[in-house]
Amino acid sequence: MSRQASGFRAWVLQRISAVYLGVYLVYLLGFIAIEPPQSFEAWRTWMAHPVVSFTLLLFFVSLFVHAWVGVRDVVLDYVKPYLLRVLVLSVFAFGLIGSGLWVAKVIFLAGQTV
Amino acid sequence: MKFIVFRYNPDVDATLRMQEYEVAASRGMMLRDALMEIKRQDETFSFRHSCGEGVCGSDGVNVNGTNLLGCITRVSDLKEPVTVRPLPGRPVVRDLVVDMSQFYQQYRAVRPYLIRRDPLPEQEILQSPGERDQLDGLYECIMCGCCSTACPSFWWNPDKFHGPQALLQAWRFLADSRDQATDERLDALEGPYRLFRCHTIMNCVEVCPKHLNPTVAIGKIKELMLKKAI
Ligand code: SF4
Ligand code: SF4
Ligand code: FES
Repeated sequence: MSRQASGFRAWVLQRISAVYLGVYLVYLLGFIAIEPPQSFEAWRTWMAHPVVSFTLLLFFVSLFVHAWVGVRDVVLDYVKPYLLRVLVLSVFAFGLIGSGLWVAKVIFLAGQTV
Repeated sequence: MKFIVFRYNPDVDATLRMQEYEVAASRGMMLRDALMEIKRQDETFSFRHSCGEGVCGSDGVNVNGTNLLGCITRVSDLKEPVTVRPLPGRPVVRDLVVDMSQFYQQYRAVRPYLIRRDPLPEQEILQSPGERDQLDGLYECIMCGCCSTACPSFWWNPDKFHGPQALLQAWRFLADSRDQATDERLDALEGPYRLFRCHTIMNCVEVCPKHLNPTVAIGKIKELMLKKAI
């Protein structure tokens, strides 16, 4: 991503991810409220369904993208010293990428063992 | 009426102080009149003002926490004691007089004038009444700075973020049917700071003495960017 595109693109990503998060959250809450899976196996079967795996993965990707843009905004406003800014952003970048990989692993494993 | 006024003269004062004054309120008295009365009582006190009717934009001050124009604010509408401070976030030159250079630089940066590619015609460049209507709510800005100095994003990055006043004017020229530099203007607003530091906090809308709406203008700029991108 070029430095030039980091304003508009970040803003668009934040809006799109927000819409997806909102819609999916409603679905998730509805699902848990209406027919929550009763056992570990039921959870796994649910998650292993390709549509669920895919949309759930997309949910977490949206969440991390959304969080990244938000954190970056806060850092741009409040963290002025350059080195500290790089440090804070790196910590969040690694944290978010790490969480993303972990989520991907969980979803992938659910699909493997059914 | 009791007024508590911010005082600071960098040449002689080590630090700022809040000074109390008593002013007898008269019927229809505006805050500017009260400040002039204070000036009569104490010649060392400084503030900016000129037209006295909300046109020149020079007497923006922060009163009881809100930015406003002294000349169009009735003292009877203010809660006592009336605390008067300079516009927030700006370097203080003296008392209520602040340095607005950054505010003007941001205004200059959006190129607040028509840019034409075509050769200029002999006469005016015509607009339909509908095209002219697009400029309502934009051209009326008197550059008082009440909005930008109320904007937290402008407090944190006055050197990089254009602020609501300049962005309102950026849209004023984007919306002008006679202007021919739309793409250049949009490109110049790219990056994480100039436009996109606005978080839709809407302090600007709340304080504008001309009832203009920079937040809507900023939204329209983003909308136009989106349209151009897809
Ligand atoms: S938009 Fe309103 S508050 Fe801002 S400078 Fe113009 S007139 Fe003043
Ligand atoms: S809406 Fe934007 S420009 Fe207006 S006060 Fe909020 S951050 Fe500043
Ligand atoms: S004195 Fe001109 S706007 Fe108030």
